[in-house]
Amino acid sequence: MIRLRRITKFFGRNQVLKDIDLTVEKGEVVVILGPSGSGKTTLLRCINYLEKPNAGEVAIGELAVDCKRPSKKDIQALRRKTAMVFQHYNLFKHKTALENVMEGLVVVRKLAKEEARERSVRVLEKVGLGDKLDAYPSQLSGGQQQRVGIARALALEPEAILFDEPTSALDPERVGEVLEVIRNIAKEGITMIVVTHEMGFARDVANRVVFMDGGVIVEEGDPKIIFSRPKEERTRQFLKRITPEANYSI
Amino acid sequence: MPGAKFDIAYLFDYFPKLLSTLNVTLTIVSLSILFGLGVGFLVALPRLYKIPVLRRLSEVYVSFFRGTPILIQLFLIYYGLPEMLKLVHIDVTRTPVLVFVVLTYSLHAGAFISEMIRAGVTAVDRGQAEAAYSVGMNGYQTFTRIVLPQALAISLPVFANLVIATLKDTSLAFTLGVMEMTGKADTLITLGQHYIETYIDLAIIYFVISFALERLFRLLERRLLRHERRERTAGKRFGRNVPSLRGLLAESAGVPKGGAGG
Ligand SMILES: Nc1ncnc2c1ncn2[C@@H]1O[C@H](COP(=O)(O)OP(=O)(O)O)[C@@H](O)[C@H]1O
Ligand SMILES: [Mg+2]
Repeated sequence: MIRLRRITKFFGRNQVLKDIDLTVEKGEVVVILGPSGSGKTTLLRCINYLEKPNAGEVAIGELAVDCKRPSKKDIQALRRKTAMVFQHYNLFKHKTALENVMEGLVVVRKLAKEEARERSVRVLEKVGLGDKLDAYPSQLSGGQQQRVGIARALALEPEAILFDEPTSALDPERVGEVLEVIRNIAKEGITMIVVTHEMGFARDVANRVVFMDGGVIVEEGDPKIIFSRPKEERTRQFLKRITPEANYSI
Repeated sequence: MPGAKFDIAYLFDYFPKLLSTLNVTLTIVSLSILFGLGVGFLVALPRLYKIPVLRRLSEVYVSFFRGTPILIQLFLIYYGLPEMLKLVHIDVTRTPVLVFVVLTYSLHAGAFISEMIRAGVTAVDRGQAEAAYSVGMNGYQTFTRIVLPQALAISLPVFANLVIATLKDTSLAFTLGVMEMTGKADTLITLGQHYIETYIDLAIIYFVISFALERLFRLLERRLLRHERRERTAGKRFGRNVPSLRGLLAESAGVPKGGAGG
């Protein structure tokens, strides 16, 4: 479904991604863990070309794009197969919740206004914001904004949704409502790659956990196994730091 | 004191006479702003997109028109341009003065507008464009639908100042003999020597137009920035019992509440 091959990314002379290989199957929920600065965001952004990899191949479904010479059309196509949920929501500030969700449907997917509207309302209701259709982002709480962000991604019916730390900018008491929404989407079988530090979420929802450090994938596998018996020392260290009470029983 | 004795009757007498040339003044202003917007856009783009050579050219253009007095720009273009065009065998001696005037003000406004657009676009959070790309928009759609509207809202106060400044600057066009309002005033003074009466009238007219423009732009700004107001829900729920900021602003501007909504 999503196939990354030998993805390499430099910022100046700083190599941030080193020959990353990653495959995500249809319907799979993959959680990416790793210390700050390990390249998780960059990897996610390479998939939809918000960041241009220096080398490697990004493939989604039938479409395989060589990063050495991507055409504009290829990049556009990759972006239309995915949707992204941002750490800081990035809602269109001058548009209401409803307009935020409709925008891509009307402008990119060329749906008729009425159809786009119906679908958007439906999706906003699904994330619990049926009563906030006409609110501007500045009038919504962080949790509500992020749910609009998720609705915007969901409405596009993409082949995969990329989440970059969707809850890390939220007040602690708002984290739950957003995770709840993501859990529900995961149940519907939508392919997702989620960068997060929410270990509970990773344990419950992920089909697979990928641990990154220093621009490489250190190890990956079933969450139960990664969390209880990580093979690599670096993974162990990281898990210990992030969950002080790491000795929970399985 | 030079001129004839002050006579209040002339205040009323000259008023309609000056107003009869208001359309010339407003024509210069509106054409200049209109062309200025076009020029400003074209000039801002190479700098926004960092296009090598064009970028330097637009920098030179902008600093010239921002860094020299408009009076000198008027003279340079009115007297200098025909000479330059003569070199390539284009004769503009029969071109109306107004064309040179509008050209000058357009170029002048264009320089300021390009700076305004550049500042506005830069002020829009990068995340906005990234979100647009992530839903699949292309560069053009992203710019026109997401970045530009926000940049314009940010730039509106600067734009308002520019329009008003241009209005006042048009008073210099009389130096080339254009019959706009100040030119007309000049003629009236030559004929009747009533300096004070004429200039009082002139000041009143310029002031009233400036004031009206300012109000208009403030309304527009409130409309364009309506997404930045937070008290909307509260204001709605409690109707008019609780005066919201929005309501107060609307009242002070003499518009019905909610008029800025949409
Ligand atoms: N636009 C950029 N320009 C330069 N360096 C960057 C840029 N974005 C990220 N980096 C660097 O790349 C590395 C990985 O960053 P990132 O992918 O954001 O890590 P993570 O999301 O895992 O915290 C960091 O060292 C960061 O400083
Ligand atoms: Mg990150």
